[in-house]
Amino acid sequence: MKEREARVELPLEILLIALGVLLLLGLAVKYGGRFFPTGKSPEEGKERDWAIPTIDSQAQGHSLFHRWDARIKIVALVFFMFCAASVQNMAWALATLLVSALSILMAQIPLHRPVRRLRAMVPFLTMFLVVMPLTVPQKSGDLMVSFAHVPFLEFNGRGLELALLIVVKASAIALLVEPLVATAPFPATVQALARLKVPPMVCQMILLAHRYIFVFQHEAERMGKGMRARGFRKRTNLETLRTLGNFLGMLLVRTFDRTQRVHEAMLARGYANTFPQKIEFRARREDWLKGALWAGAGLGLLMADRWVKWTLFS
Amino acid sequence: MHISDGVLPTYVAVGSYAVSLALATWSARRINPEEFPKIAVVTSAFFVASLIHVPLGPTSVHLILSGLVGIMLGSSAFVSVALGIVLQSLLFQFGGITAIGANSLLAGIPAVTAGWLFHALKGRSLNRHVFAGALAGGWGVFLAVGLLALLLISGGEDFFGVALIALYAHIPVLAIESAVCAFTVSFLYKVKPQLLGMSSASRPGE
Repeated sequence: MKEREARVELPLEILLIALGVLLLLGLAVKYGGRFFPTGKSPEEGKERDWAIPTIDSQAQGHSLFHRWDARIKIVALVFFMFCAASVQNMAWALATLLVSALSILMAQIPLHRPVRRLRAMVPFLTMFLVVMPLTVPQKSGDLMVSFAHVPFLEFNGRGLELALLIVVKASAIALLVEPLVATAPFPATVQALARLKVPPMVCQMILLAHRYIFVFQHEAERMGKGMRARGFRKRTNLETLRTLGNFLGMLLVRTFDRTQRVHEAMLARGYANTFPQKIEFRARREDWLKGALWAGAGLGLLMADRWVKWTLFS
Repeated sequence: MHISDGVLPTYVAVGSYAVSLALATWSARRINPEEFPKIAVVTSAFFVASLIHVPLGPTSVHLILSGLVGIMLGSSAFVSVALGIVLQSLLFQFGGITAIGANSLLAGIPAVTAGWLFHALKGRSLNRHVFAGALAGGWGVFLAVGLLALLLISGGEDFFGVALIALYAHIPVLAIESAVCAFTVSFLYKVKPQLLGMSSASRPGE
């Protein structure tokens, strides 16, 4: 057991090599999306501002997740996610990551979807990976690493461990979102939420908002094309901001008018704030078993995390 | 900036859900049933708007725009923002599922308070509206970053450094959002003032 902090000084070359590797990784993450075959998702080719993935494009599968009653699926998986978020031990966090990865495979989710989720988290998580080793307060037993000729940069090993734990947990939970929402048609998922006592008004708004997103995306894209055709290029200046403000205003005005007309048309056809749903939920024994399995796994994870401590570095 | 999973202590994540739920219920009570579509519209429009990359030197930032949501919806902005957070998390993984409660708080409370600020200061002239819009937009970011820092700090002193960096990183965002909010308010004032929560009959000069 380390009683006082250990200090290591490494040659400067290692720092430079590490920075180089990080730079390469960053570029790979930013531009590597092209290397994942995206199947039939045409939105990947569009201009990067307006790509919106369809939430339930995998709903036509036949895996254990697809056949699972959506209500129980939601409750069980969200419970497991909270358990996973509470893990404090790297070994158990990695175990959770494994479980998530297996779930992705079992739910037959094409790889580009979870990869896209992971890439979305990179900026936020990188901040932790870079900042925590440098700013975490020193405690006894910490491994401090510094580099020759750069004495003011001290990396705390405990800080890196914490940041890595966050990265693993965030990835594990993010991966689980796909089996959660992509394995049933979106209206079915929302209906499941309604059966779980989410107010019907909120469910209606989720459905409408989700529908409108794609409509507005097209509107925004058209406006954007028009602007670029007239020579607008985004730059770091006040003119760009004024143009963006006007763009936003125009988007709001157009979309508001359009949906106002749609809403009146819906009212004229008897819309009474609900869409008729023909989705029946029938919980079978296997649905409850799956739920119990995941809930049990979550609880087991919590208990193991607390009582079975494997540390990787002692 | 939306928090991902695994960062917040679980009691903070769960507690944020509870507080968000309470605020959403409060906010929902202030909604006129005829306004459902307007809220859905504002939610989606802002979702789409938040996809825009605003160039900032070598990099680019996404705008939160909660100030503008507050300006347009007033007290019912919380529901709209919370919905936007849910959709952003589900579609983009912009913010983790266990952190939805926390993210709704850090974007929703600024939205509602920015709306109040705007309506208190807007006066009747265009310049007053633009000024109020800039202030509301800036306040939206200011409070959001403050809440973000508070939430991060709840994880203990290990997170102080990250919270500080997040604060510094948002200073340019604050300036940008104030400007964009002001310009948008200016546009809406001239083109469709009803969206700013004011009837066109009260515009001076009509």
